[in-house]
Amino acid sequence: MSKTDTMSGVTSTRDEGGAVPPGITTFNTELLRIAGIAVALLAVTWVYSGDPFILNIMAQTFLFAAVSLSWNIIGGFGGQFSLGHGVFFAIGAYTTANLYINWQISPWLALIPAAILAALVAVAVSWPTFRLRGPFFSIATIALNEVAFVLANYFGSITGGPRGLTIPFKAGLENMIFTSRFHSVLLMLGFLVVCLIVCAWVFRSRLGYYLQALHLDEDAARATGIRVLQVKLVGMAISAALTGIGGALFAMYLRFIDPPTLLSLPDIGVKFALIALIGGVGTLYGPLAGALLIVPLESQLRAGLSASVPGANLIVLGAILILFALFMKKGIVGLVMQLWDRFGRKSQ
Amino acid sequence: MSSLLNIIVVGLLLGGIYGLVSMGLNLIFGVIRIVNFAQGELVMLGMYGAYVCYLFIGLDPYLSIFIVVPALFLFGVIMQRFILQPLQNEPMMQIFATFGLLLLLQNVVLAVTRGQGYTAPSKLSEFVISVGPLNISVVRLVALVAVTAAALFLSWFVKNTMAGKAIRAVTQDRRAARLMGINVELAFMLTFGAGAALAGLAGTLLAPIYTMSPQIGGNFIMAAFAVVVLGGLGSVWGAYIGGFIIGLIEAFAGYYLDPALKTAIWFLVFIGVLIVKPGGLFGIAGAEEVGLREQN
Repeated sequence: MSKTDTMSGVTSTRDEGGAVPPGITTFNTELLRIAGIAVALLAVTWVYSGDPFILNIMAQTFLFAAVSLSWNIIGGFGGQFSLGHGVFFAIGAYTTANLYINWQISPWLALIPAAILAALVAVAVSWPTFRLRGPFFSIATIALNEVAFVLANYFGSITGGPRGLTIPFKAGLENMIFTSRFHSVLLMLGFLVVCLIVCAWVFRSRLGYYLQALHLDEDAARATGIRVLQVKLVGMAISAALTGIGGALFAMYLRFIDPPTLLSLPDIGVKFALIALIGGVGTLYGPLAGALLIVPLESQLRAGLSASVPGANLIVLGAILILFALFMKKGIVGLVMQLWDRFGRKSQ
Repeated sequence: MSSLLNIIVVGLLLGGIYGLVSMGLNLIFGVIRIVNFAQGELVMLGMYGAYVCYLFIGLDPYLSIFIVVPALFLFGVIMQRFILQPLQNEPMMQIFATFGLLLLLQNVVLAVTRGQGYTAPSKLSEFVISVGPLNISVVRLVALVAVTAAALFLSWFVKNTMAGKAIRAVTQDRRAARLMGINVELAFMLTFGAGAALAGLAGTLLAPIYTMSPQIGGNFIMAAFAVVVLGGLGSVWGAYIGGFIIGLIEAFAGYYLDPALKTAIWFLVFIGVLIVKPGGLFGIAGAEEVGLREQN
């Protein structure tokens, strides 16, 4: 239910810009659309506010949508296909968890160092790896994720090692721990809206156009005077900072983190990219659409099928990936826009 | 002294395994410019193929090569024709599709086997050659011999046969190759098939060494990527020597530092080489960018 409701939210917001060709909207128009999406998602959350199972799925959906949007800044707009965003996610999670457990620093405050640390690490590791292009960059980021996994297991004093970290349950707004799951969902929705606004701003800013230019042709972009490395690094820093915040929220929501939860490739690092791709990579709302489809679907499959057929959810996910790559390269947003071009325009 | 010698032997034997796993990846990567994330899963399929042959016909893993390798060749050709060929000029979609295949293959095997570990024992598994203080496991030595044979055969094949020359032509310039009357799609299908067959060979030879699990491909794929990038894209001997370099690094890091940190050490070497020589130690300079040029 939630899927269809919110999907139509995306389409209807497209309608407003129907007279103008898509791609020439202003930041203010996007803000209006985002407000519309927020209200629609809030309404859906409200309807299901009594069902903890569905609320759990929604919290995860909104969080993954938000982080996937962050990924999209460098991965989609900039075309730097990072599969190592799990590292920044984990940095955010471990920073916040450590500050909260050892120094009782409120997670709200800990979001700042989490974001800064994630951005700093991202810039430090991207500096050399941005020399690589296309698939080589992706391989290096995957390697990065593997190294982070090894290090997270090795440095047990910070990460709790393989046993992980458990965050004690102390409910309260200042601890970012809620007794009601509804409030957690609202927090995730708030983060999603923040990410949407940042993405819309980047998309319609000079930085966003630079990123899109170097995505299309890096040499041409450099020739026109864009400082390619600097633009990539700024894009990566923004993307990683938001991803770090996402990791922090994830840690406070689950209250238990360990290396496999934070640094699993199919469940975290690659999933951010896959959600964006399924929704429509490089589009503003693609990652949101992708998350609204994939996360609930996977949760349902995991709950329904995995008991009888182990790994069934990942079999379906794998098949979806191949089918989207072959037949729906532009993702859900691309399909919606195609349908709009074919049928919507004529009826006007 | 003997411990140093031991480390070197362990490293070389491990390097043989990594080289074997990398050979197919390097072929696919070097010629078709596809980053096949599912290569480790092809190795995994090879291992399970050897197990199935052992289970149903009682075949020794070394004999099941004659069934598993052709089967994987066919699988590779089908994979290339129906999944990767339509995505020829879209590197991102290729990553997407091969990762989908990785998930699919891994979890189909998980669903079928329910995650139980298997080994396919060979008569050779029991034998160990002792030279002074060194103990060399025969099954690992076979892998070392096999990778040497595969490298020799591949370099002979691409240099001296018509099909091999066609493959090299396609690697250098697709359009020019097509204008010379080479069937580029066929060359790609055969190359991918050969890459998958090499993965199958690696799988059967590894079946007596490792306990199988559906996720085992993941243990090899990172090492294989490191080998390919280190050795040089598309260079047969690069992959061969790169395998030994990674194997030796792992053996030394495991002995002198901490086995838990081996991946981190690889990564440092890997990144270091990428920065200093992006084309790899034995690759052609600029080879890493050729694949991204629009080619038709």
